[in-house]
Amino acid sequence: MKARKLPLVYPTAGFAGLVFVLGAMWYAASSQNNAAVYLLFFALAAVFFVSIPHTLINLTGVTVTLESVQPAFVGQEVSLPVEIMNDSRATSHGIELALSGSNRERQRIDYIPADKAARITLRFPVQQRGEHKVDTLCLTSAYPLGFIRVLKRFTPSQSYFVYPKPAGDVHLPASFERRGDNRGLTEFGEGDDFSGMRAYVPGESQRHIDWKAVARGQPLMTKQFATEVEGVVYLDFSALHSADVEEKLSQLALWVIEAERAQRPYGLRLPGTEISPGVGQLHFHQCLRALSLFQVRSLRSGDPTVSGTGA
Amino acid sequence: MNTSKRDRSIPRRPLLWLAAALLFTAPPMFGSLVSWVPCVFLLALAMKFWMEPRGYRLRSAILKLLLALAGLVGIFASYGSLKGIEPAISVLVLLMSLKILEAHTTREFQVMVLMGWVLCLCGFFLSQDFGIALCLLTAFALLFAALIQFQRGFSHGAFWPPLRTTGILLAQAVPLVALSFILFPRINTGLRFQFRLIRSASSGFSDQLSPGSIAALANSTAIAFRAQFPGSKTRPPGPMYWRGVVMWRCDGMEWRAPSEVTSISHSTRQSPSGNTIKQRITLAPHDAHWMFALDWPFEIPPGAILARGDYLWSTQAIRKACRYEVVSSSAAAANELTPAERREALQLPSSISPAVRELAQSWTAQNSNPRAIVNNALQFFRTQGFRYSLTPGEYRKNDLEQFLLHRRVGFCEHYATSFATLMRLAGIPARVVVGYLGGEYNDLGRFFLVRQADTHAWCELWFPDAGWTRVDPTAAVAPGRASLDLNSFLERRMGSGQMEARRNAFMTQLVRSALFTNVRLALETLSYQWDTRLLAFDADVQEVLLDSIGLANRGPIILIAEILIVATAILVIYFGWMQLRAHSRADRVKALYERFCERAARLGVRRDPWEGPSDFSKRAALLLPNESERIGQISETYIALRYAPKPAGLVLERFAKEVSAFAVRR
Repeated sequence: MKARKLPLVYPTAGFAGLVFVLGAMWYAASSQNNAAVYLLFFALAAVFFVSIPHTLINLTGVTVTLESVQPAFVGQEVSLPVEIMNDSRATSHGIELALSGSNRERQRIDYIPADKAARITLRFPVQQRGEHKVDTLCLTSAYPLGFIRVLKRFTPSQSYFVYPKPAGDVHLPASFERRGDNRGLTEFGEGDDFSGMRAYVPGESQRHIDWKAVARGQPLMTKQFATEVEGVVYLDFSALHSADVEEKLSQLALWVIEAERAQRPYGLRLPGTEISPGVGQLHFHQCLRALSLFQVRSLRSGDPTVSGTGA
Repeated sequence: MNTSKRDRSIPRRPLLWLAAALLFTAPPMFGSLVSWVPCVFLLALAMKFWMEPRGYRLRSAILKLLLALAGLVGIFASYGSLKGIEPAISVLVLLMSLKILEAHTTREFQVMVLMGWVLCLCGFFLSQDFGIALCLLTAFALLFAALIQFQRGFSHGAFWPPLRTTGILLAQAVPLVALSFILFPRINTGLRFQFRLIRSASSGFSDQLSPGSIAALANSTAIAFRAQFPGSKTRPPGPMYWRGVVMWRCDGMEWRAPSEVTSISHSTRQSPSGNTIKQRITLAPHDAHWMFALDWPFEIPPGAILARGDYLWSTQAIRKACRYEVVSSSAAAANELTPAERREALQLPSSISPAVRELAQSWTAQNSNPRAIVNNALQFFRTQGFRYSLTPGEYRKNDLEQFLLHRRVGFCEHYATSFATLMRLAGIPARVVVGYLGGEYNDLGRFFLVRQADTHAWCELWFPDAGWTRVDPTAAVAPGRASLDLNSFLERRMGSGQMEARRNAFMTQLVRSALFTNVRLALETLSYQWDTRLLAFDADVQEVLLDSIGLANRGPIILIAEILIVATAILVIYFGWMQLRAHSRADRVKALYERFCERAARLGVRRDPWEGPSDFSKRAALLLPNESERIGQISETYIALRYAPKPAGLVLERFAKEVSAFAVRR
């Protein structure tokens, strides 16, 4: 990612204190005609001036790359995995990264050696479903003295999806075609029989994650206890009776997760869109993406204060 | 990572640097403030190290207020008032101590560093001695190290790296400091706040000489002044008597200068006789009016008068180091003594005992020639078992008989006062002169250093043929004292066992060792340069300098603007230089590759940010079959340059050529 503009230099809060102390020194020196205090005054001012190019140099050659962003559900946190690369010949110190916006959390890296990279993850909660643009990333550093801060802004081109919050209390609808016997559709994932392991689906309960396997370095797996249910199920927006669109979308999202967890082919019907039945990660995300984009036209900015539809 | 900044405690490493810096601000405080104030300050520093790792801090506002009030009351009790510079600085130091106990956030760390700089400023108000200045400037520099370490966080290295960065910053700041120190307009704000230090005058000088007053200074290493002889290459021949004050009023063993200093009018001023010598003297501040010069000054510096008795007297109290030039002659012109002066020079107290009068009369009876009388008196001191000692015991002003006829142990003031009194008894006009004798020569700085320990008292007698003539009775008792400064003299005496050892053997050994002497001389030279070059460079000196380089007519604003322009130019040069150093070869390779990607994009193949160079090359080669060979080559060279352990220098050139060739073809 290229820096958007020339780096910006601005004073920190400590700068006001420095100016005050310099003023006091100047006043004391001039009123007493005291050469030693003048020396102190000039030395402090000069070191401050000389530190400005040091602050600028500290961030030259430092670039930010945003890696692919995983989708999240409303109410969860989005993680932005960021790689900060130092291409200069010297170690860079005291680097802070934050998303633009006033009160976002700052992540700090104490140092990045020359030609090395550091990884950090910026996390923030999301409240709006839809496709969001990643905000401008602000790379700042106040090294060495902390009286001025240099700011480099990087605008990533990536965007991320926020899926509706999975919620609702309506059971997964029965399938149209049922094969085999009359086993009920009770409590997916809550049965007694351990039926195997499968990949963890983001958004579902973490209760059955096989943490021992995670500890061994394996990917997140969920123990499946559900009784096997077969047959295709259609998740239909219009079949839901709730008045609120968001509530309906939440219910559908929950169903998508449940159906995916049960490895049961499912299709999605939204007004104007239909996704034919299927199962698997690609299909799963396709469905959730359709839910998150439902009735949202434009790309949303990542700032939660910018409201979209259905707020 | 998720902890909010407000509650994070201050890490240990920057705190250590800060503490080290603040320790260096303490010495001037111990010298000048009531001693409990710096003790509280050091205690607060120590407490901080105990409290910080445990998460304790001074939180309660009421407790803070109470402590501050208690401090104020304490300072008021110690000084009797809150006015003046010392109580003000004491209050500041106490507030700083409270701040140390209270601080716990990043912002407060900066505040503490800023307060540290204010303490350095206060330190310079208390003292500007070179040693103190060295401490304060060290503290000043260490505060930068503290800030840098704070920004570095847990980067590798907590000692040399921050010191190194501090060093670089300071070194780069030197030209700017020099420039602004010389050229920055020293505007007088007119908002002068006058303060008097309450400390006792550091000079041993007063207008009164009583037994024991000079002996009390014999261990003082404080600097009185430094002298150079700009006109001549060598020191003046013979012992150097620096005259400070002439005392006329005799009260037995106690002598006094006239309470009012009267200037010699120009008409009666003596014309120089004998050898003349020019001196450049840098005087340490002593809050009084004394100024010193060799022998008989006749060309006097501005701001001084030549007082009756031919000594210098400053019209204003000397509160900061000052430098002046004076020309002296080695002998006084033979003038007639006015009747009033003769009366004054023969005045005697009524309390002199008959035995002493008899002693003086015994000499006049032998030979009425004044010079013979003087010789007799000196012979008396030489032969009658008088001893020269730093600890002669107590004498009161009427103990003349006790000293001359019984105890016979004394220091220079005893000999000078008793000798002058005896001469007056014998009818010879006499007066006592107090000043300094000798001085230690510094080879490096080519100056003489005169300490308070070199304070000396001697006599001047008036002879009809020669006028006022110096006679030093101490020389009769302790031959050799006159040609050395006191310390060297005492050391020699100690070596030959004549004098009781006042210091233990180790210290003597140390003081005598060559290395120690060299280091001491070097420090004294630096100290001299600090006083003469730096401290003396005030607004007046600057004006003269600016005049001489033709910058005097500019207004202060233009001058400041010019300084800022030059400073900015220096900064740009630094920036460019650092940029050059920071830019690595890898950058050039990357820039070339980016140019290649841009050109490929112009041809319709845009590289995605996540696409590796070899993937991109494959894709681009498929989409641009005409360029496939070149694209492959460029990508291969790029990968070799970027990731191979040691690519040859030639490869970079080839890569540059390939990339530019790629642009020209289309």
